[in-house]
Amino acid sequence: MSEPRDEKRPDTGSAAGKATADLGARIARARGQRAADAATEQTRTGDMSGMGRGFRLASEFVAAILVGAGLGYIIDMFLPTRPWATVVLLLLGFAAGVLNVVRATRELNADTAVPSDTPALRDDEDD
Amino acid sequence: MAEKPIEPIHQFRITDYFDIGNFGGDGTPGSGIHLAFTNSALFMILTVGLVLAFLVLGSNRRAIVPGRLQLMTEMTYEFVANMVRNTAGHDGMKFLPLVGSLFMFVLIANLFGMFPYFFTVTSHLIVTVMMALIVFLTVVIYGFYKNGPRFLKLFVPSGIPWYIIWLVVPIEILSFLSRPVSHSLRLWGNVLAGHIVLKVFGGMVVALLGAGAWGLVAVLPFGMAVAMTGLEVLVAALQAFVFAVLTCVYLHDAMHPGH
Repeated sequence: MSEPRDEKRPDTGSAAGKATADLGARIARARGQRAADAATEQTRTGDMSGMGRGFRLASEFVAAILVGAGLGYIIDMFLPTRPWATVVLLLLGFAAGVLNVVRATRELNADTAVPSDTPALRDDEDD
Repeated sequence: MAEKPIEPIHQFRITDYFDIGNFGGDGTPGSGIHLAFTNSALFMILTVGLVLAFLVLGSNRRAIVPGRLQLMTEMTYEFVANMVRNTAGHDGMKFLPLVGSLFMFVLIANLFGMFPYFFTVTSHLIVTVMMALIVFLTVVIYGFYKNGPRFLKLFVPSGIPWYIIWLVVPIEILSFLSRPVSHSLRLWGNVLAGHIVLKVFGGMVVALLGAGAWGLVAVLPFGMAVAMTGLEVLVAALQAFVFAVLTCVYLHDAMHPGH
């Protein structure tokens, strides 16, 4: 197995000194590289299969409706508002579901953004 | 001839290995809380044990030139750290232990489920709900601790006119409350559906093979089962990743409320 070769270090004074002379600069460069990598990393890790995307959006949508209807039902159990809390919160849950889907889509789109050096198409609306 | 039918749900059954005892209740059978060491508990312990062994064995040599195991450990750390840094931001790095633990637990639990006769911990809603609630409560508690009442700005998007705010705020609150639900439902649903589909196709192969000349057709569901196995390994890793990324997204909101 690979052993750390520490035993060589003392007797190669000049060579080791040369090897680590620009160590500070190399570390600084690597740190800068991390920031630059972050942008490309985002697109790589943000990539999901189509099924993954589908499940993500579907569950975001359904969950909001379930929470809205459930919350409304609980309110109706304890307050004399039956059935209006369920109805109103179900509709609000529907809106929240759409909001969730829009947010998730924006997030997924941001992960696979169009490169900034893509030539812009002429927009007819601008005339 | 007396073969028992293949139940696709049977694989999710919880069985007790040994009893720990009854707590509370009035002595009648079925009352109180019955605690037992189940197959689910066994596989949770195995999952945690494997993660621990991987990380401890991988990091105990701390060689300057890493060996294979150390390299794998370091790559795992780098992967999770980059995910947290990119999604939750630099100040989200304090949540790296939480996100890393959740990611490794879900990943190993999902991959354990791919072995025949193994129990899949994440195919039970209670497990995924508890993990989602840990994240949800962390977001709420840390959000209020860090931002105080300003955390409520999460529900009030900026630039909304006053006459529509009364409609937007309930929608935002519902959207926020739906997060733990979708967070847990997605992982559970993916794992459960995948395992049922695998079992159904496997059952078709067995049933067709037992039906004489129809055995030739068994090639079709068998090919499907092979393909589904590959897909399920992908889903296992992908869902662990999605779970961890969404944890980071939610934690980001806790630190920076207001869109």
